[in-house]
Amino acid sequence: MAGSMELSLRLRPEAEAVPVLLDRLEAYAWEAGLPPAAAQRLALVCEEWLANVAMHGAGASFAELALWREADGLHLRLADDGPAFDPLAEPPPDTECPLGERMAGGLGLHLMRRMTRRLDYAREAGRNRLLAVLDVA
Amino acid sequence: MEIVEIEAEGMTVAVLEGRLDTATAPAAEARLLALLAERPVVADLSAVRYVSSAGLRVLLKAAKQGTASGHGFSICGLQSPVREVFEISGFDRIITAYPTRAEALAA
Repeated sequence: MAGSMELSLRLRPEAEAVPVLLDRLEAYAWEAGLPPAAAQRLALVCEEWLANVAMHGAGASFAELALWREADGLHLRLADDGPAFDPLAEPPPDTECPLGERMAGGLGLHLMRRMTRRLDYAREAGRNRLLAVLDVA
Repeated sequence: MEIVEIEAEGMTVAVLEGRLDTATAPAAEARLLALLAERPVVADLSAVRYVSSAGLRVLLKAAKQGTASGHGFSICGLQSPVREVFEISGFDRIITAYPTRAEALAA
């Protein structure tokens, strides 16, 4: 059903835009008939991206998302014009350490990496661009 | 996000409903930490359909506060997508989770 469904969103690069983003993605997931696990992965990748742009992207004037479906999964293109930031270059959090030593940082990027089958970063023409492929099944 | 508080067995059950995300995390954190100052807290997440890293940070702070205050903090009723996020993040090893509220209260 609706195999070619596309979505594109232009968002304010701030935390207050996260509920708007998640509402739109929930509606998309429902209309596209995505399984709950795929809908969750999609929402997580997009929220963590936007939250990062909002937190680190002082000076970003926009955050843009394009989403489309191909035979191999959901394709996402995420772009913002904040300072250069490669999420793939950040060290992963230590998910093995005990509560007392567990730090709160790095979790969002960890989830982005784990929820995508492919995630590529490029800095092009003053923009951060992420291309992601997510499993649908 | 809605949070309903129920007193039971000398603990507070905080029943969360909705998404625990970037937008809802600050209020949820303030509420849980305030409750933890009084008595042990069980966060019932059976009506939470989504938790992002912002939500995980709230639960991490609550768990640390629960340890520091000696009151204790646990969660119950994780939906399977939320449990997946917990496991990927290693939170299943650092936050005590029970299948049901009854089991959390009996512990």
